[in-house]
Amino acid sequence: MSRTVWIIIGVVVAVAVVVGIVVVATDGGEISESGAGQPSPVATDVSGTVSVMAVWSGDEQASFQAVIDGFNELYPNVNVEYTGAGDQLPTVLSTAVQGGSPPSVAAVAQPGLMRDFVNQGVLKPLDFASDVINENYSPSTIEVGTVDDTLYGLLFKGANKSTVWYNVPAFEDAGVTPPTTWDELLQGAETLNASGVKAYSIGGADGWTLTDLFENIYLRTAGPDLYDQLTAHDIPWTDDSVTTALEAMAQVLGDTGNIAGGTSGALQTDFPKSVSQVFSDPPAAAMVFEGDFVQGEILNSTDAEPETGFNQFAFPAINDSPPSVVGGGDMIIAFDDDPATQAFVQYLATPEASEIWASRGGFSSPNTKVDTSVYPDSIAQATAEALANAEVFRFDMSDLAPSAFGGTVGQGEWKILQDFLQDPSDVQGTQRALERAAAQAYGQ
Amino acid sequence: MTDSSITAEPPNQGAPPTADEAGADPGRRRRFLVALGFLAPALVFLGVWIVYPTVYTVVRSFYDRSGDAFVGLDNYGTLFTTDILLTAIRNNAIWVLVVPAVVTAIGLVFGVLTERIRWSVAFKTAVFMPMAISMFAAGVIWHIMYTQDPSQGTINAAVRVVSDAVNPPGVLSGAAPSGDDLRGSAAQGYRLQGELKAGEVAHLGLTRIPASEVKDGVQAVVPATVEGGITGVVWRDFKPGGGGTAGEVEDGEVGIPGVTLRLTDASGAEVATATSGADGVFTFPDVGDASYRLGIASETFRESYGGVSWLGPRLITPAIIIAYIWVWAGFAMVVIAAGLAAIPRDVLEAARTDGATEWQVFRRVTAPLLAPVLSVVFITMIINVLKVFDIVLSVAPPSVQDDANVIALAMWRTSFGGVNDFGLGSAIAVFLFLLVIPVLLLNVRRFRREA
Amino acid sequence: MATVAGHPETPLIEPVDRGEGLGHSIVRALSHAPLTILLAFIGVMWLVPTLGLFFTSLLPASVISSEGWWTIFSTPSNATLENYRNIFSDEAITSALLTTVWISIGSTILPIIVAALAAYAFAWMDFPGRDWLFIGVIAMIVVPIQMALIPIFSLYDRVHLFDTLAGLILFHTAFGLPLAIFLLRNFFVGIPGELLEAARIDGASEIRIFTRLILPLSWPAIASLAIFQFLWTWNDLIVALSLARSTQPITVAIFTQLRQFGANIEIIAPAAFLSLTIPLVVFFAFQRYFVQGLLAGSVK
Repeated sequence: MSRTVWIIIGVVVAVAVVVGIVVVATDGGEISESGAGQPSPVATDVSGTVSVMAVWSGDEQASFQAVIDGFNELYPNVNVEYTGAGDQLPTVLSTAVQGGSPPSVAAVAQPGLMRDFVNQGVLKPLDFASDVINENYSPSTIEVGTVDDTLYGLLFKGANKSTVWYNVPAFEDAGVTPPTTWDELLQGAETLNASGVKAYSIGGADGWTLTDLFENIYLRTAGPDLYDQLTAHDIPWTDDSVTTALEAMAQVLGDTGNIAGGTSGALQTDFPKSVSQVFSDPPAAAMVFEGDFVQGEILNSTDAEPETGFNQFAFPAINDSPPSVVGGGDMIIAFDDDPATQAFVQYLATPEASEIWASRGGFSSPNTKVDTSVYPDSIAQATAEALANAEVFRFDMSDLAPSAFGGTVGQGEWKILQDFLQDPSDVQGTQRALERAAAQAYGQ
Repeated sequence: MTDSSITAEPPNQGAPPTADEAGADPGRRRRFLVALGFLAPALVFLGVWIVYPTVYTVVRSFYDRSGDAFVGLDNYGTLFTTDILLTAIRNNAIWVLVVPAVVTAIGLVFGVLTERIRWSVAFKTAVFMPMAISMFAAGVIWHIMYTQDPSQGTINAAVRVVSDAVNPPGVLSGAAPSGDDLRGSAAQGYRLQGELKAGEVAHLGLTRIPASEVKDGVQAVVPATVEGGITGVVWRDFKPGGGGTAGEVEDGEVGIPGVTLRLTDASGAEVATATSGADGVFTFPDVGDASYRLGIASETFRESYGGVSWLGPRLITPAIIIAYIWVWAGFAMVVIAAGLAAIPRDVLEAARTDGATEWQVFRRVTAPLLAPVLSVVFITMIINVLKVFDIVLSVAPPSVQDDANVIALAMWRTSFGGVNDFGLGSAIAVFLFLLVIPVLLLNVRRFRREA
Repeated sequence: MATVAGHPETPLIEPVDRGEGLGHSIVRALSHAPLTILLAFIGVMWLVPTLGLFFTSLLPASVISSEGWWTIFSTPSNATLENYRNIFSDEAITSALLTTVWISIGSTILPIIVAALAAYAFAWMDFPGRDWLFIGVIAMIVVPIQMALIPIFSLYDRVHLFDTLAGLILFHTAFGLPLAIFLLRNFFVGIPGELLEAARIDGASEIRIFTRLILPLSWPAIASLAIFQFLWTWNDLIVALSLARSTQPITVAIFTQLRQFGANIEIIAPAAFLSLTIPLVVFFAFQRYFVQGLLAGSVK
């Protein structure tokens, strides 16, 4: 009897082997239809297919499609296939790379993810587009996409995260004018509260809103050099500079009577809600700290009008810090370098490509050659100019960190800052927790 | 081993000869090939898509995150020392303890009760419908149910209707005193520090009152003293821009109408109440010679019901379990109802004629006959619950996914959700598989018993 | 009793009562009133969550962001079909719906054919190792789907099944098989052996017995299985999310609308509601088959 059991098992194994052989037989090795690495002259008779994967969905996807249409006017024979993956992009992309089938081009928001891919050796350097990129982008932007002196990423869609959005009537009722310094901000917050509206709306359910707030404070209290060191984890999170920044942050988070919904409410508030509740009637709060993309959310989910209903001011200076911008954005990375992909990436680096999207709204271009008059309104123009002209520009620290520390829901910096929101008095404990998580994630 | 020891053999007379009898049968080989022909497609599918990945995953679980280095049992060590995974294991235990029992019980109750109503099809349809809804859509649905803000979340809105009817919110919810002389809290009400006597004027300055609530406000006035009485003013002590002096009625500061003021004597007993007018002025005429205290009752400041944070870290697992029961109760009900319908009526009737009560009939006759069906439901639910994944992913907001974590979700998040540790992820998958093995043995035993 | 309860099916409730007076049955009906009210209440409660999604899907984004779905009952109502209009003009969503239909149909038919063949062999053929093999199949019922994602992903990439309808259908087929084989085998075993024996004596081949005898007799079990399999594949998220990219079913299409920078509820709510209408139609059309297959083998 047991012999026959083995026969059955044998059959199954044999089938598996046959399948395996088929697999091996059809495996054509590395896909290399394009003379890989050969810089080919870009011409309009380029043909081929470029698959693109990015987070953009909805309106953003429509805008990017308009950019693709602009590209196809120049290169009618290139077929660009776009796939939106939403916030699942890192997951979907990692799986695709793990399985050996990445798209030609992807737009990722996390330089850390790009670095991972570089280390895995799956990314192609953007040398073929370096001329057009160097011409159009500032060194600090290019630096973000550079790993070990090689350019792998193009910051195509920028985000100015150093903005604060406020309810204009609420500020007017309270007689508060947009603050330019941290002390004015705190003072104004108190006045707003006395006028009957909570000052702050905190989207604490999303950890990244808290990291953005921390980074804005830290860049101003500690300065860009320490910011870079902390980003690289060259200084520990228990450093005094972090203490200073967290204490400043606690001045906001600890003012619990002045936060919409109080501490527990803030922890339950996700980003969209943190925006919409500032512009509802009556407003739950007067202002919300977040980037230029807040405008899209306001226009989409509230009835507030630009300038009369909502407006923004730059994140205030702390101790006379210079105009500083913490930025984020989506970086174009290439897994292929066939002529069609090269042509597409080069096109994206041109001001024309950025202007197509910029004119449609919801887009801040780090491209310095973009004509800022194409932005659809003065608010978008102001945030985009602040991004392009910042004296100090630094990329979002948590996006530069290993994703286990700076980009994963429910752990690392996101989670620890949520705990800090829960109990803003425990600065030391927060620092120790951050340091522990960072040490683990940075592999030290 | 012969077939007779674990006869899966159907109880029929004309069965083909068993394998051992067929030892010398020249047709045996042919029959084997025919059987193989019927089985082959299934074996290919199971081999390639289930057996091979399972083996792969087991092997992978002994390697590090990149898959290059053999690490032995390290991943399993991590599994049992990481807080997040321990939470997942604990939550899964809660799920297994609660859900199969509750779902089976609800299914049984519904199944029995629907036997007694005429419109049982309508009821069953309503309860069974969620089965057709994807876990993902169920997540969207329950987000709408659970939102904390009572003006948006269905459950909290319903609770607010009741809560606000019992404890109506005050006219000045959220207001606070502008100076130090008003002491107390919103919950206890505020009271002026000093004592008042006839002929004095009280200033009760309040702040944190939204401009929209005093839109048509009238300039506050400091009333004149009244012989033998106490007068005063309640006003919004706020000047735009934050200037002005606290406690002083200034130009542009408006009176608050409709505030109930309470005058108490030395013993704390209420002597009189008054209500402020449009300019905030109130009067207690003829109070006599004694000293009094003046305050505003807490009802004035009572806030509207704020809602339970169902999706907060403490309630998230129960909240998701409720959503899950909502989905699966219909399944249990329909299966159990079918089982009930299959119980022969004459057996029940015989028991009743013998004078058994309904409860005795249920316990002695219905329950034993229903046991196999109940165990089908129960075991199906255990398997489902051990693998529960997408409803947790879609109901739990990102900030509490750690608190709501379950093993299958931990496996997915570890492998794909940012950590990208396929070694640890594989170990979690293997651990999950080990957990379902007892259920599997149960299933196999049942199969052997039945066969 | 019979005069009050017009339905011939209902007297089964408590036949002991039969023959007692009209007054008694009225008393009984009244004593049922609390039960009726209770069940009506529960039934309505069970519908509220789904209705909430439906009404949400009819409201403009600016309303949903600050108010609940019940504001749809305010006058004048702010209900609008605009969200649905946008959904249907969104090619990503409509093509995803179509993709889902193809995936679900393929992943329903294929596993049932394969499973029926195997179940027949397990039920009515004798070959060495049959029971052990069958136990192996039962064991596979509990293998978590997540276990297969990574290995199958790399396999698919090599054989060019990644991001194809076929790849998804084959995956769903394989993972639908164990339960399908288990249930169908249990059903097949219940078919009277004399029928098969008679056919065999008449010299009918096994494949002929299978197609002409077994399949027609098993229609109820197959139908119920088909419904379950259809619902599973229709509602799948994780497989398509991992093994496809542009071949998106509706769940993935909705899921990828989720962005941290926006609520997109005006897209998610109508799309989610749309995604559950088709399974509901299937469910209502075939609900009477639902249980039969599941119970085959466990209740005899």
